[in-house]
Amino acid sequence: MEFFSKADLIGTLPLLVVFGCSLLLLLLDALFKDAKKLVFSVGIIGMLTAIGCSLYTFPLSATAFSDMVLVGGYASFFNILFLTIGIIVFLLSYSYLEKQHYHLKEFYTLIVISISGMMLMASSADLIIIFLGIEIMSVCFYVLAGYKRIKVEGNEAALKYFLLGAFATGFLLYGIALIYGTMGTTNLIRISQNFDAFSHPLYLAGWGLLLIGFSFKIAAVPFHMWAPDVYEGSLTTVTALMSTGGKAAAFSSFILAFSIPLSMHNEKLMMVIAILSAASMLIGNVFGLAQKNIKRMLAYSSIAHAGYMLVGLASGTKLGMDGIIFYLISYSLTNLGAFGIISIFEKENGGNLSYEDYAGLGSRKPILAALLSLCMFSLVGIPPFAGFIGKYYLFASAVQSNLTWLAIIGVMTSLVSTYYYLRIVVYMYFRESQQSELIFVPSLALASVVLVSIGIFIFGIFPSLILNVIQNLL
Amino acid sequence: MFLQLFDIIFYFFATVTLISAGIVVFSKNIVRSAFSLVFTFFGIAGLYVLLNADFVAVAQLFVYVGGILVLLLFAVMLTQKISNLQMKITTLHPIIAIILVASLIGVLCGIVRMNDWRIITISEIPQSTAQSIGKALITTHILPFEIISVILLVAIIGAAMLARKSEKKS
Repeated sequence: MEFFSKADLIGTLPLLVVFGCSLLLLLLDALFKDAKKLVFSVGIIGMLTAIGCSLYTFPLSATAFSDMVLVGGYASFFNILFLTIGIIVFLLSYSYLEKQHYHLKEFYTLIVISISGMMLMASSADLIIIFLGIEIMSVCFYVLAGYKRIKVEGNEAALKYFLLGAFATGFLLYGIALIYGTMGTTNLIRISQNFDAFSHPLYLAGWGLLLIGFSFKIAAVPFHMWAPDVYEGSLTTVTALMSTGGKAAAFSSFILAFSIPLSMHNEKLMMVIAILSAASMLIGNVFGLAQKNIKRMLAYSSIAHAGYMLVGLASGTKLGMDGIIFYLISYSLTNLGAFGIISIFEKENGGNLSYEDYAGLGSRKPILAALLSLCMFSLVGIPPFAGFIGKYYLFASAVQSNLTWLAIIGVMTSLVSTYYYLRIVVYMYFRESQQSELIFVPSLALASVVLVSIGIFIFGIFPSLILNVIQNLL
Repeated sequence: MFLQLFDIIFYFFATVTLISAGIVVFSKNIVRSAFSLVFTFFGIAGLYVLLNADFVAVAQLFVYVGGILVLLLFAVMLTQKISNLQMKITTLHPIIAIILVASLIGVLCGIVRMNDWRIITISEIPQSTAQSIGKALITTHILPFEIISVILLVAIIGAAMLARKSEKKS
């Protein structure tokens, strides 16, 4: 009897490569005494190989391991996104960890394993796989959040994230159990294909609990409380990974789980998600105004961006889903760029994180300042950058499904966000600097930030390059 | 007659679970909490047996009562000065907490009441579930089964990293 075939193994090749790579990193770490450079470069090679495998599996369209995971298309596309994020975080981290004196080799292993969790989430065809993927990613994040373990804020971030995350996992698991109890299966297609006809109270409660679990992972209001403290307390490059990869992964499995029920245009479900979305946009942007710390500001901004993406989900249309995927790419690139520059600029023991510290950066480091302004413009959603196209698609999808009020809230709150995004630009160019310390700009980090900015530009000017691919995914 | 006996056993285990779980949460003494957790896990194992889940019940006894709990008790007893520690168990925002928890419980209880439960009548002695679980784990569920090992690996790495002595500044 054969339990799985060769096709299963080939289809899940990217995943297997990443798993293998993480084990290899662990071994190298144990075998060699000072292997930072080795672990770093093997990790990058492993992820590049996995990108190659994802490109190879991209044309396939199947499921593997008895309908557990998706193969090709959607899964491969997201795999490439997560692996790219992983490589950029690697490049940013090397000099940053050196500067902060937190250079441990496990760091790289944990990042690679967390990416394998994200890949599982984006390729799940079964609730069990969603749960396992979320757990792999979250456990890595709990540890990475506590990386500054001699600092109070590092411990606070890790503990808060762990306790709240465990609580959210409880909700998610309870929901999965209720759905399994009513349907007798955990297969995503089979549990959701009769969503409208099936109004068993336990079944609906299961979906509700599932929604709470996902809302926590994407940091949507009212399940956002952890985000600002965790983002502030973690190392900046870890924050970059959480706010991009973590959010993209949560959204990718959110779409997989909810796209069929949403495509039936169930009024109640649409309304619930629309309310979550409106609350996230309002609270994220309004609280963002009051922040003095840049990392906290970006945390509230990430809450607001979760709200924008939920607009696309609430619409339930294909346009909305495509919009979310495009938005995830542009948002990930932009946030990687912003956090990358912050990590370059950050001082040894966590200084240089307030708005005032950015005064006069325009004359001291013109390239960095220009790149950071570009990221901020893209986060606001100003035309030639990728952020604009994403927002356009999301709000257009809301109008298409008669949720015009949601689109109006989105546009209004985007206007509010202009204040705190552009404030940093004002500080950089129109305020005099009080400090004259030299800023060391590591070449690897700078190169990755420049690459990311080119991406923001290209996807903003020629969105059809990537939109044509996205449209054939779902 | 059979059904009455079944009911008595069910309520016995349910009461044991609930009361001991209450002690775990409300006791101010950590040793007492740890010991009453034994009874919670034991009561849950009993409920699993009544639900015909023999394998899960045994796993519950082995893993939770036999493994995790003994480890927990050792950790509590070997940690100095912990046995006299008075824990803070006050709630920070009682009114908000009461409203939220009460509404959640209300919704869940309402759902349980509203639901029309399927009633299965068992005519013969049920078969053991261990064989079918074992088969599923290496056939249809082989991927999740393998992935769980990755989660355990991450947990070990993370625990080792966070518990290590602080490294010298390089």
